[in-house]
Amino acid sequence: MAISSARESLSLALNNRFLPNLEYLLQGSILDTAVEHLMHRLKGLCDNVDTSPERFHDLEVCMSLRQPTSPQPLLLRVRRALGQDAPFQMRYLGQPEVDMRRPTLVRSCMDCACTNGILDFLTEMGFRLEFEYIAKGYMFRKGRMKITVSKLIKIVPGKQQDMANEPISQSYIVELSVVAPTGQENVGEEMRVFAEQLKPLVQLEKIDYKRLGNLP
Amino acid sequence: MSNSVNISVETTCENQIREIAYDGTELYQPPPTLSESLAKCAARIDFSKTSLDDLKKEEKSAAAAEDKEDKDNQFQESLWPWDAVRNKLKDAYTEICVLSDVISIAKDKRYLVLDPLLEDGDDTKAIVQVYSRKKALSQAAQVLLGGAERLRTAHSEQRSRNVSDFHIELLRLRQNWRLKKVSNGAIIGDLSYRTAGSKFGMSGTFEVTKAEDTLDEEGGAGTSATASAASSASSSNNGMQLKASSALRVIVPAELQGVAYIKVITQKDQEDLCTAQVNLMGHGPNITAQVGVWQKTLEFAQNVLFCKELFAQLAREAIQLQAPIPHVVIGNQIRATLLPNIQLIISLCHSTSFDSSQPAPINDHDHVLEHSLHQLLREVHYKNSHHPFPHPASAPLGPSKKRMLAGPTAADREALLDMTKTQTILEQIIAQAQHIFMRKRTQYVLDTLARDVKDPQIVSHWNAMNSPTMSCVKINIVTHGYDAIGRTSLVIHVKERSLKCICRDGRVMRLSYEPQELRDLILCQINSHQISCLVSLARCMAWTVLSNSNHLGIGKVEPLGNASSCLLASPNSDRMIAVQIRCDPQIDVKVYIARSPRQDFFPSPLVPEKFWENLGGNFKEVRFDKIEGKSFLNKMEFLMASLTSNTA
Repeated sequence: MAISSARESLSLALNNRFLPNLEYLLQGSILDTAVEHLMHRLKGLCDNVDTSPERFHDLEVCMSLRQPTSPQPLLLRVRRALGQDAPFQMRYLGQPEVDMRRPTLVRSCMDCACTNGILDFLTEMGFRLEFEYIAKGYMFRKGRMKITVSKLIKIVPGKQQDMANEPISQSYIVELSVVAPTGQENVGEEMRVFAEQLKPLVQLEKIDYKRLGNLP
Repeated sequence: MSNSVNISVETTCENQIREIAYDGTELYQPPPTLSESLAKCAARIDFSKTSLDDLKKEEKSAAAAEDKEDKDNQFQESLWPWDAVRNKLKDAYTEICVLSDVISIAKDKRYLVLDPLLEDGDDTKAIVQVYSRKKALSQAAQVLLGGAERLRTAHSEQRSRNVSDFHIELLRLRQNWRLKKVSNGAIIGDLSYRTAGSKFGMSGTFEVTKAEDTLDEEGGAGTSATASAASSASSSNNGMQLKASSALRVIVPAELQGVAYIKVITQKDQEDLCTAQVNLMGHGPNITAQVGVWQKTLEFAQNVLFCKELFAQLAREAIQLQAPIPHVVIGNQIRATLLPNIQLIISLCHSTSFDSSQPAPINDHDHVLEHSLHQLLREVHYKNSHHPFPHPASAPLGPSKKRMLAGPTAADREALLDMTKTQTILEQIIAQAQHIFMRKRTQYVLDTLARDVKDPQIVSHWNAMNSPTMSCVKINIVTHGYDAIGRTSLVIHVKERSLKCICRDGRVMRLSYEPQELRDLILCQINSHQISCLVSLARCMAWTVLSNSNHLGIGKVEPLGNASSCLLASPNSDRMIAVQIRCDPQIDVKVYIARSPRQDFFPSPLVPEKFWENLGGNFKEVRFDKIEGKSFLNKMEFLMASLTSNTA
């Protein structure tokens, strides 16, 4: 299969539904005091946690571009692992779709690894900084499910690396997500069963951002 | 109490909403009238919850109550809210009537006598309580003591009979193996490697039961060794004549019974070069002593499963691999060609009955290959279950770190295709076997050369640290007694099918697996060593080096080097020595000397003047083997010394 240009390969991918992927997401939160219990339970449930759970420490920057045609700005999230030599990850997330029939929130997503010039590039394109935060916590894996338990940390502008940045709240955000190609419906069920097992500790739900946005 | 906070509770000022109309207007309930609220409050009074004193007071005000009751009767029909109050009051009235009757009867003292209550009535109660508690406690103690006694007797009985308990055994089994109870009460265990990342389809379930008749089992195992092979639970099917004292039986499926191992043989023509037997037995701490005989049974079964998985994997790969000489899989045997005429044979041996006449395991089997096979399958298992976590955390799960970098580093199609390639177990084991073979071959060539060539000496140092497919040897060529003058060293990297030689001067040569090439190379190195040492020696002795060449290009021309030569002149240039060293097929040294001008010159018509003699004379060969000296350099030193002294 010869692919002549990048544009052609993109359209091919879109036609064959390689792209965009769908992200199935459940979210919840747990207080700092109870997070130990959750960690123990996750250690029991997840794959190979014979070693200590994987930690992560990422800086996420959300960039927005005003579009002349639509009132909604285009949002792109760029994430970078602090203290690790890994490529930046740029992420586009589509409108979340809260379907009553589905057990999870579903949104289209595109991931792309980038070099560290991506932020400058986006700024040059006209993107503006929307918000940024640091996520720090633990990652688990169960089959194709990814479970992150992370603390969101507010950033004092210009002091990304500073230890003085304060956590946003006294709780951890717990996310259960699967990124899968279109047309895999049993993912949601699998996730629901897993979320059920964390039940008394953390209530993983599909959270509708549109409603949250209306809150004062 | 001083900390308590006063909380005032007030009703809301608003009236209750009775209903909300469709247009959103709210209809309020009208506020209660005074009588309504009075009725509401009165309904809340609990007349039964009054103390004795209150009752007395009530008695006095019985008349008043009666009045009120009359009022109540009036309201009865019209005002339902007062109904509850009325009922309560009626009850109270009945009670009071009865009480007054009792009092009036008691006054007569004919039918009823009222005695004052004993003040210590409560005390007697306490004593009764104490007694009852004491009794209950003693009963409970009795039960506990009885239970303890029973346990003690059971325990001592067990110890005296030396019969192990099923549940204790089960507990021990549970500590080492995965067990679960299924619906019909049976206990099923799993000895497969699936939780460790194996994807082998064969099931490794076994069943745990209670051994009913231990004695019969013992007798059966003792008398018939052949029958024991069929009986899955008995430990003797693995050749272990352990006393069957276990109260627990494990039933292993028929295909996992017996002993299995994987035999690896490297064969040249029909002769075995090295063999290896792979099984898991004898690895890890032996815990059979602490736990039951079933441990051995399960270990053997697990080993069978492991060997089968390994072989299945190898056989699948052997068929899929596109080798220049195709691999052959026949029955329980895989044949792969390592190098021309050298074959690697991997076979699965599985015997269900233990046979004592089985040949003893070959002692010189290759531990390295055995270990590698293990390690390779374990690695596959590990990779199946351990995927790297993505960083940053939002990145997709699955692609390797290298793959994630492919985008930012703009990897091309070729590089991406390379990432998808992984070496199969068979490829790796073939590579390792090839390497082992190459290493042995190189060792052999170097050792024979070192033995055959006495002058100069060949010293080889093998690196202790090496990888399964790469090892390294450093070769030093020195002449005894002339170490300071010259030393030729080279490094050979032994790989899977080739050798890489790095010489001191930076030349890198790649040799094939043919041993002759290495032999030629070493001989050429000896050549050049001799010549270069000779040149240094000549300088030390003030001789002049007229020319030297490491590649004369005569004889069988080899790419690595061939005959080398050197031409030396004495300090006053009247004598010359020519040396030629050939290395094919053996080291052959030829030394010639010439003298000019000759001491005795007789003019002839052809050469009338003496100065013509300066052009150089005829070279005469020296019978080098007759010259005094231990080594080539030693002899040359003597030769030069003698020629120099002649001219002095």
